[in-house]
Amino acid sequence: MSVVRLESVGKSFMRRDGEQLEVLRNIDLDVPSRSIVALVGASGCGKSTLLNIIAGLVTPDQGAVFLNDVRSKDFKDWRSMTYMFQEDRLFPWRTTAQNVGLGLEAAGVSRSERRDRVMAVLELVGLEKFADAFPHELSGGMRSRAALGRSLVTDPTILLMDEPFSKLDPSIRSQMHDEVLRITGLKAMTVIFVTHDVEEAVVLADKIVVLHPRPGRVREKRDIALAYPRNPLSPEVAEQVRLLRLAL
Amino acid sequence: MAPPQSLPKSSPRELSPVSLFKRRTDVMQRSRKQTAQDRRLRMFGLRLLLLVVLVGIWQIASIGAPAFILPSPARVFSAWRNLVTTPVFWSDFGITFYRISVGFLIAAAVGGVLGIVLGASRTLGDFFEPVLVVINTVSSSIWAIFALIWFGLSNWSTIFVVFMTAMPLILTNVWQGTRTVNPEFIELAKTFRMPRSMVLFKIYVPTILPLFFAGARLAFGFGARVSIVAETLGASSGIGYRLRQAADLVQTDQVFAWTLTLVALMIALESIVLKPLERRLFAWRERQSA
Repeated sequence: MSVVRLESVGKSFMRRDGEQLEVLRNIDLDVPSRSIVALVGASGCGKSTLLNIIAGLVTPDQGAVFLNDVRSKDFKDWRSMTYMFQEDRLFPWRTTAQNVGLGLEAAGVSRSERRDRVMAVLELVGLEKFADAFPHELSGGMRSRAALGRSLVTDPTILLMDEPFSKLDPSIRSQMHDEVLRITGLKAMTVIFVTHDVEEAVVLADKIVVLHPRPGRVREKRDIALAYPRNPLSPEVAEQVRLLRLAL
Repeated sequence: MAPPQSLPKSSPRELSPVSLFKRRTDVMQRSRKQTAQDRRLRMFGLRLLLLVVLVGIWQIASIGAPAFILPSPARVFSAWRNLVTTPVFWSDFGITFYRISVGFLIAAAVGGVLGIVLGASRTLGDFFEPVLVVINTVSSSIWAIFALIWFGLSNWSTIFVVFMTAMPLILTNVWQGTRTVNPEFIELAKTFRMPRSMVLFKIYVPTILPLFFAGARLAFGFGARVSIVAETLGASSGIGYRLRQAADLVQTDQVFAWTLTLVALMIALESIVLKPLERRLFAWRERQSA
């Protein structure tokens, strides 16, 4: 069963000067359950728009989106999907625990259940000691963990990520990669993420979709059949990175 | 293919930032407490000095002037002591405070709600903007005259004037506040399929609150000042009425005594109610700026 399926999806935006700008053309995508898919491409290739279409934030002009084989516009179970943005988007007036619990509040989960689930997730992302800290008291890595925790607390089956670790420094970024792999394995999630970092794509994904810009089209899809955890310094990974760079 | 289940829960690298953070904040808190105490002491000294200088100038100036023009500090103080013991003092004081508070509370409620409504709808905002300009340009004295015509000699005259002065200030601030709401937070709420009412209370209100508070503070000060004007025109009780009575009878020391009472009231409200409330509400911000 495919968790997310796109059939010849296209999208154009009206530019400010009144001209039509075609962002995506004829995108086909099939994301099987429990896979990790990377959308890779140069900036302006519509990767983020594609992710927003999957998330239901943007409606496509052409084609259809299916989530768990249900048409996107008839899909009801949106809370089984969470979205992690490039910025952590933590509310400055909320503590870590309150920020993490946001999705549960939206779903109307009772206060006591919320507290238990938030604590469990904070432990999962290693922030249990910082439950009562405000965002400005956290380091960049910790903020990223908090944002990840907020995306996990509702027990999603689909996790969308839009260059979530691009602002972190390299060592913290690779820590976050380990975290994501550990947690997705633990929670049996399907992950779709956007990145322009080729190495990140190879280290995390088992399937990479390469997009070409203006308009955004699928250039190629490749499977990465390497065992986890993947060391970015190992020759196999380096070779995949090299091949992917050539495809871009 | 699924990733393996058995990766280490957290790498050892992660432990050191935790303890580092703890230690750093401990040290920072200690030194911050120290400097805060020093600063408070210095502030207190400066305030005291200012008070002494002002009273000194007042004393010197009063030596050459007749008492009905500028009474000496000692004379005003004794007039104030006599004033406080009269039974009407507290009832006048209370009625003025009551009028300011009621006018202010209605202004806060109306201004807050209208500010959010106008901020939420661009059309409504554009439509009503001129009304706000008009209300802002009409002087409080004119509102006092209208109040006298419409409400006569009653509490509502003063309440109306306080309301008309305070409400636009709060409304404007809240309206501006709605424009500072982070669209990224709204988008995040959308991905959680958060209901609209929840977005209002969990994103809009916390974002606006600091601006609302700043506006409310300004509005209370303005309201308190114009309430006196309103009372001199349209009331038969209250501090403004007593001020005018004392001025008519050329009891200048009484005028000074009432003025000092008002100043003391505002300072007390500021330091006992507003400052601590603000510190409590915006703890997250204070620590950020420190």
